[in-house]
Amino acid sequence: MKFRFVLAIIAAKAAIIFLRMINYGGTSLPGKIALLIYPGILKELSSSFKVIAITGTNGKTTTSRVIAQMLKENGIGYIANKSGANLLNGITTTFIEAVNIKGTSNVSTALLEMDEAAFNKIIEHLEPHVTVVTNFFRDQLDRYGEVYSTLNSVLTGIRKTPGSALVLNADDSLCASLGKDSGNKVVYYGFSPSAWNSTENTLNNDAAFCLYCKAPYDYENRVYGHLGGFICRDCGYRHPGSTVTCTGIEELNANHSRVKLDLDGTTVDTVINLPAIYNIYNALAGCACGIAMGFSHDSIIKALSEFEPGFGRMEKIKKDDKSIRVILIKNPTGFNQVLDYILNENNDENKSFNIAFLINDNAADGRDISWLWDVNIEKLGKIYDKIITAYVSGTRGPDMAVRLKYADFDTKKIKHVEDYNRIINEALETTPGNGTFYILPTYTAMLDIRYILKNKFKLKEFWE
Amino acid sequence: MDNTYNTYNTHSTHNTYSAYTINICYLYPDLLNSYGDRGNVIALKKRCEWRNIQVNIHNISIGDDFVPGNYDIIFLGGGQDYEQEIIKEDLLACKGGQIKNAIEQGKVFLCICGGYQLLGKYYRTWDGREMGFLGALDIYTIGHKKRMIGNLAFKCDFLLSEKNPGGIVVGFENHSGKTYLGPGVKPLGKVIKGHGNNGEDGFEGAVYKNTYCSYSHGSLLPKNPMFTDHLISLALKQKYNDFDCLEKLDDSIEMNALFKTYRKVCKNLRNFYSFPLA
Repeated sequence: MKFRFVLAIIAAKAAIIFLRMINYGGTSLPGKIALLIYPGILKELSSSFKVIAITGTNGKTTTSRVIAQMLKENGIGYIANKSGANLLNGITTTFIEAVNIKGTSNVSTALLEMDEAAFNKIIEHLEPHVTVVTNFFRDQLDRYGEVYSTLNSVLTGIRKTPGSALVLNADDSLCASLGKDSGNKVVYYGFSPSAWNSTENTLNNDAAFCLYCKAPYDYENRVYGHLGGFICRDCGYRHPGSTVTCTGIEELNANHSRVKLDLDGTTVDTVINLPAIYNIYNALAGCACGIAMGFSHDSIIKALSEFEPGFGRMEKIKKDDKSIRVILIKNPTGFNQVLDYILNENNDENKSFNIAFLINDNAADGRDISWLWDVNIEKLGKIYDKIITAYVSGTRGPDMAVRLKYADFDTKKIKHVEDYNRIINEALETTPGNGTFYILPTYTAMLDIRYILKNKFKLKEFWE
Repeated sequence: MDNTYNTYNTHSTHNTYSAYTINICYLYPDLLNSYGDRGNVIALKKRCEWRNIQVNIHNISIGDDFVPGNYDIIFLGGGQDYEQEIIKEDLLACKGGQIKNAIEQGKVFLCICGGYQLLGKYYRTWDGREMGFLGALDIYTIGHKKRMIGNLAFKCDFLLSEKNPGGIVVGFENHSGKTYLGPGVKPLGKVIKGHGNNGEDGFEGAVYKNTYCSYSHGSLLPKNPMFTDHLISLALKQKYNDFDCLEKLDDSIEMNALFKTYRKVCKNLRNFYSFPLA
């Protein structure tokens, strides 16, 4: 047994215990310590695990939760970086926690969310059995750079693991290119053209022009953003077809969706335990991963109706007959999808509701808040009269107030309150019975408000 | 600190304005649209509409006819390298001549980041490759390995006003090109915090006749309502002889955001000067 190897594990484990004791998550630093003491630690620890990697811009956490439920249904023990610590250090911490001092564990599957910009580096330490890539959207350009550089970096990573089966979004021309440009085995997932065709044609699209020849794409159907049945008439690059397909949406309601799926040739009706169209994609990604893992259709379908959402991802908190919905927002496409969800929920309802926008510009949120102007806030216009108060808060709350004003929202209904506690109390008080209070935070604001909600309503710790 | 905005969405009662129409041209809205640049068009539109000035937005992209005479304000934003590559040919070969003429004739232009660079003579990459650009302005840009990213604050003399006595403008820059101005082009402002044009001479942006260029995303105009009004005034002055000045709007929400951002960005500066909230 190598001395440094054991020392790295002991030091990192001690750091975990200490950091948790002082009520700090301790999801990242222990891994860093271990890697400093023994740089090969992740490679050695992960070699006895079957690794499932999940990367991409949006939907990593929810997709992981779907796959986690599938593993449970199949009686497979696993470790996961549930806390969202998805960089090299966080992933190393996840393994350190799972092993004993000899570096062995009684489980042999690792479900790992990986930051799309860090994927290329992380992948040098471990060889995934399956790699799921959810999608590529413009996201925090100050941090990630252009969407094409993120795509290239993920492609470079994938080329380092030729043995890994890929699970790719067939409706995303950027994501699907990974299948075309690597030699890996691929399971594609997507919507059939008849399942959903959005009439909203946005000029502000992340990938309207062919990746290979720069001609504009035609679409057989559009789902949202640049996702849909794309085809380039110039060079012929097109939607590759899919093994896991949503062939119909039967119900989209506040708490779940009911959809028709084609699972590798078998048609099934199923409930997805989280609302909104974008979560159907996350469910499809999970299903396709299940197929790649060789799970039974029964266990896959069961998982879709039973998985638990990740913290702050459409998380619902009940307070008497009122509910709070915490929905993470981090980039224009995600924010637009959340607005669609709220619109769909409140279109026919006569009930009014409160909403809070918590906008931070810390490093993990992206320092640049220009993206608020790429969000089509104006589409909420149809239900402005149902909004009692729109709270704005966070380090850039005042900028959100400006955004609302220029979307013609009644400025008398905008309230800037810095104290999250007060927002929660006030908003719940004015929310009508059976009504909802929507909280839309950026990443670090979500961690802050989640902490307050956790203490107020006795929720799980974020690393649990 | 908390605050309910006791202000009203301003709706003008000024009747003379209703005779005015502003035509805004958004060039390549489907390609040059990164970093919320469309917010600039939204700001121009809203601040006209709140004064009962009619607004038409014309989205003009690749292959579309471009007749500058039809527009009063022309906006050119920035895009990712990939998208800038796509529009370059159309911009240089098809629309370039008209853009140059319009700029010379004093048409009001706002050009941000990539759009700013494209108006210049050339762009030289850090490894020495030179790409010819439009040459409408006597400026050029040299690529750099290290990107200049972060909040940006600068002051513009032409924006000095009661509400904004420092002429402060805030935004966010994200560029790897360093831009240098020739003798015929004036800088837009003096950098208070951030890099600006090149991180060397302390200046940000460029002004030539009625063409305004800046590296500031963020979006520039919604964050800086006086700048928006300045451009609208220029356009109206050109178009209508009877135009005098713009009616004031209630800008407390915008000024609150501007003030907070300025405080946040410049809090560690020694020469930070107080900037009263209007």
